[in-house]
Parts: sequence; structure tokens; C-alpha cells
Amino acid sequence: MPHLQDKAAIFRLGVTIFVYLAVLTGLEYFVAVTFASVLFLIVIALVKAALVAYYYMHISRLNAEHEGEPESHGYRTGTMRLGLWLFLLSDSFVFGGLMVARVNLLGMTRPELNQLLGLLVTGILLASSFFMNRGETAMEHGDRKSFLANTTLTLLLGVLFLVGVVGLEWPMAIHAGVKPDSGAPGAIFFMMTGMHALHVTTGVIFLFIVLGNGRKGLYTSEKHWAVEAAAVYWHFVDLVWIFFYPALYLIGRIA
Amino acid sequence: MKKLNPVLRGLLFMLVGGSAGFALGLVIALAATGQADPAGSVPAVFAWFLGATAFFYGLSGYGPAARGLVWQVVGTLAGALFVTLLRLVMGLDEIFGSFLFSEPAWVFGALVGVLSFIAGSRIADDWWKWAKGISTPEHDEDPADWRKYLGVSLDHKVIGIQYTMIALLLLAIGGTFALIFRTELAASQLQFLTAEFKLFNQNGLQIYNSLMSLHGMLMIISILLGVSGIMNYVVPLLIGAQDMAFPRLNAFAVWIAVPAAVLLLASLLLGGFDTGWTGYPPLSARAPVGIQMFFLGVFTAGWSSILGSLNIIATIVRLRARGMTAWRMPIFVWASMATSIIALTATQLIGLSFQLVMFQRLLGMGFFDATRGGNPVLFQHLFWFYSHPAVYVFVLPGLGVISELLPVFVRKPLYGYRFVAVSSLGIALVGFLVWAHHMFTSGMNEYLRVPFMYSTLLVAVPTGVKFFSWVATIWKGKIETPTPMLFVLGGIIVFLLGGLTGPPNATVSVDLHLHDTYFIVGHFHDTIFGGFVFPFFAALYYWFPKATGRRMNETLGKIHFWLMTPSFLFLTFGMMRIGLLGMRRRIADYDPALGLDTTHLLMTVAGYLIALSVLVFFFNFFRSITKGEKAAGNVWNSRSPEWLVPSPMPAHNYAVPFEVVGEPYDYGLPGSRFVEFSKAKHPEAH
Repeated sequence: MPHLQDKAAIFRLGVTIFVYLAVLTGLEYFVAVTFASVLFLIVIALVKAALVAYYYMHISRLNAEHEGEPESHGYRTGTMRLGLWLFLLSDSFVFGGLMVARVNLLGMTRPELNQLLGLLVTGILLASSFFMNRGETAMEHGDRKSFLANTTLTLLLGVLFLVGVVGLEWPMAIHAGVKPDSGAPGAIFFMMTGMHALHVTTGVIFLFIVLGNGRKGLYTSEKHWAVEAAAVYWHFVDLVWIFFYPALYLIGRIA
Repeated sequence: MKKLNPVLRGLLFMLVGGSAGFALGLVIALAATGQADPAGSVPAVFAWFLGATAFFYGLSGYGPAARGLVWQVVGTLAGALFVTLLRLVMGLDEIFGSFLFSEPAWVFGALVGVLSFIAGSRIADDWWKWAKGISTPEHDEDPADWRKYLGVSLDHKVIGIQYTMIALLLLAIGGTFALIFRTELAASQLQFLTAEFKLFNQNGLQIYNSLMSLHGMLMIISILLGVSGIMNYVVPLLIGAQDMAFPRLNAFAVWIAVPAAVLLLASLLLGGFDTGWTGYPPLSARAPVGIQMFFLGVFTAGWSSILGSLNIIATIVRLRARGMTAWRMPIFVWASMATSIIALTATQLIGLSFQLVMFQRLLGMGFFDATRGGNPVLFQHLFWFYSHPAVYVFVLPGLGVISELLPVFVRKPLYGYRFVAVSSLGIALVGFLVWAHHMFTSGMNEYLRVPFMYSTLLVAVPTGVKFFSWVATIWKGKIETPTPMLFVLGGIIVFLLGGLTGPPNATVSVDLHLHDTYFIVGHFHDTIFGGFVFPFFAALYYWFPKATGRRMNETLGKIHFWLMTPSFLFLTFGMMRIGLLGMRRRIADYDPALGLDTTHLLMTVAGYLIALSVLVFFFNFFRSITKGEKAAGNVWNSRSPEWLVPSPMPAHNYAVPFEVVGEPYDYGLPGSRFVEFSKAKHPEAH
């Protein structure tokens, strides 16, 4: 089990994964502005998603064997973990459907957007995932102070992401002529970012709740399912953006 | 005052509330528009809401159902008023629409209404407490009498019955709608749904279209709820669980089906919609505002379905009894698993497709508008990605019921258990790859036709496995034919007819001729009746004693069966015949020169006979709850664990956990056992 390991080692692993993700994002951008290979971009996105799913979302915990008797806390947490992942599976079909709509309507074109801002919000969300992972790891080791600090940072970065997308990118896109009713690129852009922003918002609310209860001292290193759920959900939202970012900003030429 | 029977009191309240609402609606319409039309929408809206609320109030006081509905109405009005005021402040035109509020106001209001229902019925209260850091007790005690079925209960058996009751109610409403437009079709020309006919601000033709469209979707929702009802009641019992994995989520899922049904029916009052249940744009992009209520209703019901199936999967994976390995799970559990995998994932896509049309109407986002870079065919892909697998959601549990009951009534092991178990998953997985066979004539790329034709024909393989198993199971068995078995056999025959008429539709060259004819209507009514309705009735007759401790009347059950089956077969054969002769789907009128009048008339008569048989069922059902013959023991002489303990089932299921020690269907093999209760003293029933 991860929480039996050394906390510092897990923190170091988190940093390594974050560096990998950051480098891959940079590579993604480089590929897009130079030889623009869609295959490359898809492979990079898949690698990033796999890193997030394995190291941040601990997908392998679904396969945990030593959970104890059916009535025990460990077994029940396992059931809830399965429930959460089933929910994420279901939810990913919405995002998959939006990607299908994007490919069907826009093909090898994309809306005209602010590249710098796109890279910036992607970085912000990535960083928030990093701090979320630190917060969850801290809670697993009973370090409440570090948990609260890191989760607060995650929450602030999440809000910053929302400000970047909804508060800055949307008005800028409208100003540049990419409007909800101006044609397929605008419709797709607003629906995809809107649905994603809705999920970020629910994630922020979830983090608020976890922070509030964490401050009351309701979580221990043994019992903190809500923290784990909030973290996995938060990483899922990041994972969706790993695919949405290239789909909206990098692939194809400007429509 | 003498105490009135609660049901009578509910009906009385409904009458008074409905009339008061009607009068109030007339006054409001008079004040708003200067004229009061008794056949208009506004009085009907008020009559419907106040009547429904008063009914539940009369039934059980200000309980969750009545409170939720009141909150939904108030929430809808508040939301709509909010948007209206906002539009007024922002200086937009179109402050009001043809149904009092503008379309965005209605949509926002309906959303707020659903959330208000959730708040008002207090189905999410425990989660709210958890969010505030307050822990809640594991299980609240339910009231001992029937009132628990009108309250928020966490017991999977109560929830299963709640699902079933809502499903039966919607079945009755959807069936009534079908009878109305079937009557209009009895003869060519328009008889009573004419252009002069006026109801809810629609003329007869519009009413025909709305009823025809709503019939489809109400039946689909009814089937989804019926499937959930049987799965909720039976699956935890079969696998030896105390309850579902997530009891609160379970209660939430059943209760949000109520505002969903309210929204669906409200669409009829807001101009209806004329798209058929599929809601294809561009037609749905310019239908009356009723279509938005339809979209939101389906959306909400979809969440009920998704969350319910999530729960079923988690329950099956995590809460099985000791010794119940995958190859010892009852077939119905396998089928529930397969069905839940589809409902969990694919349902999101119908939600998305409807959501995109909703936003196309609200914000002018041109997803499906070819003049704005959109593509109407994209809608059909997204829509059918759910709506084709959805039919497997309907039939897989039904086919599971057939496989579950057949060995009990022929006293023989189920033939080819492992193949039958895997065939459900096979149908579910192949079912994900066949959706575009609905679109052979839609103008999608032609090279897609042949692959989808072959993938569709492939579904016949796992389905054939099931038929082979059923026939081989019946072979040389000692067949008993109580009512549940009659419905099982009827289901097999009717589903066979539905199955055999499928491949012609799947074949591109034939489908180009059959598409949008009544042949298709005949085909899918056969599959859904054979795959769902017959097994659903079989399940109700079969598990009724488990839930109530009494059994339903056999004579009435047989009348139900022998009235319904021939009438239904006649109806669908008629549909296929007129389809082949050129009768198109969905239309209110047809040319007398087609020579179909006689067939149509006879089909209408058959339709009324089916309705009569269902009335017999309802009478039998409600009468048997209190007056049925007592049946506390193993009525059907089954091996299944739920029948080895007395009926009705106690609140937390098995007092003593059982262990699986053998194969589930080894009927007739001496000395074989399926389950063993852990303690020495068996709680076996006598």
C-alpha cells in the first residue's frame, strides 16, 4: 500500500511525474508549431494521460487485494473507489462524444485562440494536479497541515484556471469572432470548454468541502476517503484537459 | 370524521386540487392574455400540477412525493420568473413566449424545478450532511405499513417496488396515448384528431404527433424503470447481499425519475413536439418549446438510469456471497451486469445529443445546422450510439428472467450455462458496434453501410445461443405452466418473431425499402414485448409472493395471458403486413386507396384487447396485495436462495448468510445443492 511507503519518496515521485508532464506539454507545443504531426500529438496525450492515471489517480488501487472482511472500512472504501471509477468511466463518454463532435465538424481545422493563454491555463491545471497529489499524500501520512496547505493551493489554481478560460479566453474569443452562434468552430469551442469548466467548478466545490472538513479534523491517515475521491476527481478533470488542449489549440490549421 | 381510505382520499384530493388548478389557470390566462380558453395550455398546466400534488398529499400527507412536487412547481416558476426579469433588465426582446414564458425561461425554470424537487423531497439530505461533516446513521427504519413506498427508503426491496410502480404508471399512460392515436388510425381520413380539434393550444394533428412521440419515450422510460425495478429487487437477493452497494444513491436514482416523468408529460402541455421519440434535428430545432421539456425529462431520467446501473455493477462486483464465483452467478445477475455496462456508459451520448440540440435552440450554436457549419447526421450518430444499445438494456434483463425461470418450471438444468452467461455480455459488446444500421437512408457515408450490416447480423449469434439453450432446456423437461411460465413461453415465441424480422431490416438492400414503414414498428414491438414486457410480467407474477407473502390469482393471470398474447400477435402481424404494403410510420392518416382500412380497424380492436388484458392484470395485482392467497413458502419449488427463506422478505434480507456450494440450475439432479446457510438450523420455509 502506498501509505506504508516513505512520504518523502512519494513526494519525490510526484515531482518527477510533474517534470515529465511539463516536458511532454512543452514537447507537444513544439510539435504543434513545427511539424504538426497529429499522430505525435495523440501519442503524447496518451502518455500524459497514462502518467496521470497511474501515478496521480492510482488506478492500480482498484486491484487491491488485502482489503479485509466485507464489513471492514478497507473493503467499503474499495467499493466506493469502484463506484467513483465507474462514474468517471461514464463521464468520460460525454467528453468522448464532444471529441467526436469536434472531429466530425472541424476535422483538421481549429478555432483561432490565444496560444499563450492556452499554454498558461494548461500549465496551471497541471500544477494544480501536482499540489493535489502532494495534499493527498500528506493526508495519507496524517500530515494535516501540509494537506490543508497543498489543497488550498490546488483550489486557488483551479479558480485561476476558470478565470483564465471563462474570464479571459471566452471574451477574447468572442472579440476575435469565435462566437457561440458564429459557426461550428465557435459552437464546439464553447461547448467543450464550457462542459470542462462545469466539471472544474464541481471539483472546486468538492475541494472546498474537503478543506472545510479537513480543518475540522475529520480525516485521519486511515480514514480519508473523501480526500482521495476529491483528488481522483480533480486529476480526472486534468486528464480530460490533456485531450481537450491539443484538440482545441494544437491540431490542424486555423478555420 | 370517519377515516377515509387513503387511496380514495388521494383521488378525492386530486379531483378537488385539479379543478381548483384548472380554475386558477383560467383566471391567470384571462389576466395575462385577455381570453380564457378551457382547452388551452395554462389551465391544463395548473390542473395537472395541483392535481398531482393534491393526490400525493391526500395519500400520505406532506411526504417526500407531495413536498418534492410542490417544490418542483415553485422552483420552476421561480427559475422562469428569474430569467424573465433578467431579460427585462437586459432589455432583450421576446420577454414572453407563446406559453407565458419565453423558451430560455422555461428551460432554466425546468432545471431549477428538478433541483428543487431534489431539495424538497430531501433525497440528497444525507450527502448534504456529509458535506458539512455530520455523520448519519447507517439505515433509517422504514414505517411498517405501505406508506414506506411513498417515502425515501434506503431498502433495495422498497426501492425496487417504487421503481416498478412508477414503471407501471408510465406504462399505463404511454399505453393510453397509444390507444388514442390507434383509434384515429382505425380508418383512413381524419376522424377526431382533425384540424378543428383543439387541446392545449394544439390542433388534432399536432396532438397526434405529440402523443405518438411521447408514447415512444414514455414507454422507453417505463421500461428502463421496470428493468431497474426488477434488478433492484432481485439482484441483491440472488447474490446474498444485505442491500445495494450505495443505498442513498439508489434512493436518489429512483426519486429523480419522478421529476423526469413530470417534465416529459409537461411537454404535452407546452405545445408538444412533432419529431417522434428520436428528436432528430432539424425538425427538433424548430419544434415547439415542448421539446425542451422532453429533452430535459429524458436527461433527468438518463441520470436515474446511469446512477442505478453504476450501483448494480458495484453491488455485483463487491457484495456477492461466499463461494459465488463468476461461473456460479445466476444468469439474471450476468444479464443485469451486461445491461448495466451499457446503461452506465452509452446513456451519456443520448444526453449529449439532446443537450447539443438544446443549446442550438437556446444560443444558436450550429452543431446540427448545415447553414452554420453543422452536420445533422452527427446528431444521429450520437443519438443511436445510445439508442440502439438501449434496446439491449431493455431486453437483456428480460432474457435473463427467461433463463432464470425456465429451469424452475421444466425441472431440468439450464442447458449450456456458461454460454448463456457469456452471451449476455456478447450481445452487450456487439451492441456497441451496430448503431448506424438506423441510418442506412440518412445520407451518411455509403462505405459505412456494409460493416454496420455485418456487425448487426452478428448480434444474431449470441442471441441464437440463448434460443438454443432455451429449446434444449425445455426438451424432455417436466413442464409446469403456472402464469409466470406462460409468460416465459410467450416471451420466447414473441421474441423469436422479433428476432427473425430483424435481419431483413439489417440487410441494406432490404432496409432501403423497409425503412420508416410499419414493418419496423411491428419488428420492434415484437422484440420489446418478447424481450421485456412478457418477461416483466413473468417476473412480477413470479416474485410477487416474495414481496407480499401472497400470490396473484392464477385464473386472472391466465385470462391476462390468453387475452394479451393472441391480440398482440395479431397487432404486430398487422403492423408488418401494412408496412410491407406501403404504410409509413408516424403519420396520422393514409390513403384509402391503399386498401389498409380493414387491417387497421382489426389492429385497433386488438390494441383495445391488450389494454383490457392489462386492466385485468392491474386488478389482479392490486387485489392480490391484500386479498391474494397466502404464500409464505417456496411457491415455485425453486433452488434459488431467496425462496429458501419465508416470504415476505425481512428488511435486511438473510438473517443468516449463505454460502454457494454448487451449481445454480441443477434441477432434477439428486443430492445437488446450490446454497447452504451457515448455521445448522436451516431457516427453510415450509
